[in-house]
Amino acid sequence: MAATKRILKEVERLNKDPVPGILAQPIESNIRYFEVYMDGPAQSPYEGGRFKLELFLPEEYPMAPPKVRFLTKMYHPNIDKLGRICLDILKDKWSPALQIRTVLLSIQALLSAPNPDDPLANDVAEQWKTNEKLAIQTATQWTKMYAIPPQ
Amino acid sequence: MYKYESDSDNFMDEDDEFVDYSEEEHDFTDSEFAMDDENSDDNDTEDAGIAHDDRPRRYAETQATQPTQTQNTFSADAGDFEDDFYGIDGAEFEPVISSRGAKRPWEVDFKVYDPDELQAKQEAIVARMEPVLATSRDATTLLLRSYLWKDEPLVEDYLTDPERTLTKAGVAVDQTRPCIQSGDSAFECKICFSEGSDEEYFAPSCGHRYCTTCYKTYLVGHVLGGASWRIKCPTPKCNMLVGEEGARLLLAGDEESLARYNTNLTRSFVNDRDSFVWCPAPNCKYAIECHVPRSALRTTVPSVACICGNQFCFGCQLSDHMPAPCHLASRWLEKCRDDSETSSWIKVNTKECTKCKSTIEKNGGCNHMTCRECRYEFCWVCMGPWSEHGQHFYNCNRFNEESSKEARDSVSETRAQLERYIHYFTRYNNHEQSAKLARKLLATTEKNMEQLQRELTLSWIEVQFLSDAVDVLSICRSTLKWTYVLAFYMKPDNQMIIFENNQSDLEMATEQLNDLVENPTNHGAIEDIKRKIIDKTTYVKSRWETLLSDTTLGLQENRWQFVD
Repeated sequence: MAATKRILKEVERLNKDPVPGILAQPIESNIRYFEVYMDGPAQSPYEGGRFKLELFLPEEYPMAPPKVRFLTKMYHPNIDKLGRICLDILKDKWSPALQIRTVLLSIQALLSAPNPDDPLANDVAEQWKTNEKLAIQTATQWTKMYAIPPQ
Repeated sequence: MYKYESDSDNFMDEDDEFVDYSEEEHDFTDSEFAMDDENSDDNDTEDAGIAHDDRPRRYAETQATQPTQTQNTFSADAGDFEDDFYGIDGAEFEPVISSRGAKRPWEVDFKVYDPDELQAKQEAIVARMEPVLATSRDATTLLLRSYLWKDEPLVEDYLTDPERTLTKAGVAVDQTRPCIQSGDSAFECKICFSEGSDEEYFAPSCGHRYCTTCYKTYLVGHVLGGASWRIKCPTPKCNMLVGEEGARLLLAGDEESLARYNTNLTRSFVNDRDSFVWCPAPNCKYAIECHVPRSALRTTVPSVACICGNQFCFGCQLSDHMPAPCHLASRWLEKCRDDSETSSWIKVNTKECTKCKSTIEKNGGCNHMTCRECRYEFCWVCMGPWSEHGQHFYNCNRFNEESSKEARDSVSETRAQLERYIHYFTRYNNHEQSAKLARKLLATTEKNMEQLQRELTLSWIEVQFLSDAVDVLSICRSTLKWTYVLAFYMKPDNQMIIFENNQSDLEMATEQLNDLVENPTNHGAIEDIKRKIIDKTTYVKSRWETLLSDTTLGLQENRWQFVD
């Protein structure tokens, strides 16, 4: 299977040349299910926290995008309380030439640059727009409360 | 009205003219192109035959740079140009009334295309623009598609800044032809990570190569999802489109996907253009071209007839609603659908209990009301508490007080509006029902015709007058139906009276004809009836033509005021 070959290669490359601040490993029983740990980017309210995500490669991958969601509770306008992420490349802008690596990098970038104009969590986005300072404060607080402290 | 065209022997002479007319028009346009053809051969840039603006000159200039190619293409495809030579939706369209006598005022020019003709049409346009832009066929197609087939802005943009125009449209500036290759040891497919010189890859003009299998899977996925020309290169941030040539190369051998791809292309050709619509009849494969611009829809009713028999309005795709313009027709249908009239009825016929607000209909008895819900006693006339009425049980002496008067006035106004609506709706509905009955009538008429043929040993052609009459009846019913919609929204004035006279003339004649056709035996001997029906049919038809001509002109002249 071409898709399996691609997944194996991707895993191999992720191990050989890991993305700084991101750890992605398939679980033993299923090569399509990845456990991901992502460090909050510097100069963001998520700095100093390590967030857990799950990533699943559907049958149609790479023609269809991977399914990714945060398992750690997040205070972010584009992430809802179930951890689902609003990101164009995970939806209509997906291209088979994108990879797990690029997807995770995009998510990390989304943490640095929240986009309250295209919200998934409406209440959070509202807060972000009306009182950004307070929103960032809450996000920092949540990072302390829910994220795994860095080793 | 399609019947007129499809069975020309079924109706009167003018219909043949109508059919001929469309052919005539094509001859006319072809000859125009022939003229232009000559001009371009001579490189006569100054007085090209189509000097509406400076465009022809530009065409001619471009042609002059590559004379041989131009000549070839022009002579080869001259027959396919048709009216699309002007190709701009509506810009040079003369609304409805042309100076040519053959066309009746309410008729609009239109043409029906089957899918093959649509494909041929696209190819013809591309072939015509190819030498003008001097781009590859693939690039020309993509450019035209991304400009929604509007050739004038495309030529303008392209001549101003070819590179920018190409890039914006998603076409590679470097127009190397896409191909399938192998034998590059440095190649790695970024989708499946297969690598090496054995790998067969697809190399489009943007230079982003992927292995054939992956590219094809990607393409087929989009094609099955309904996409046609807006399929981008899989590379993120690359905006180049997969052209037709490349797509056909990849899909070669996969008949199902190819067929789907072709269907999608044709579909987008029709959907992308303002001057084309699909016939809205279920399972109909035809598309209609008509150059009535959106802006003319308030004064024009572009009624068109598909080959499948469906007669509909080009502007809104509802079934034919001549002579009411689109905006009035849709308002009317909405009004009939929503229950604003129900609420009007409630307003007119009921009152609210002033205490508990229950809706009460007075169905008899005196003015002393007792609310069933809250047992509140009040006077129906002035709505005041009954206790203040003393012993005047049967008349309310507070009736003429100012406040009661106002309340009463507002109720009667609503009542008047409702009555007006019901007046028009009854007549509209009556004609709709009668039109349905006319279909039944057609069946009985056919039986009658057979009977006549047998009994009086008449030939088939001699009994056709009956079915002609039924045809005219059903058209008139449809027109009459919509005249009531027009009248409903019309502001009353002298012009409206003239309109209503026309309407009532047609209506009366239609009803008489209906009676003649339905009960022929009540009207004397067969020869007598035949003459009567033929006469009446001719008369009704002339009334119908008068009404339509008059309303068409009236709408264009803004003769009537309509309520907002």
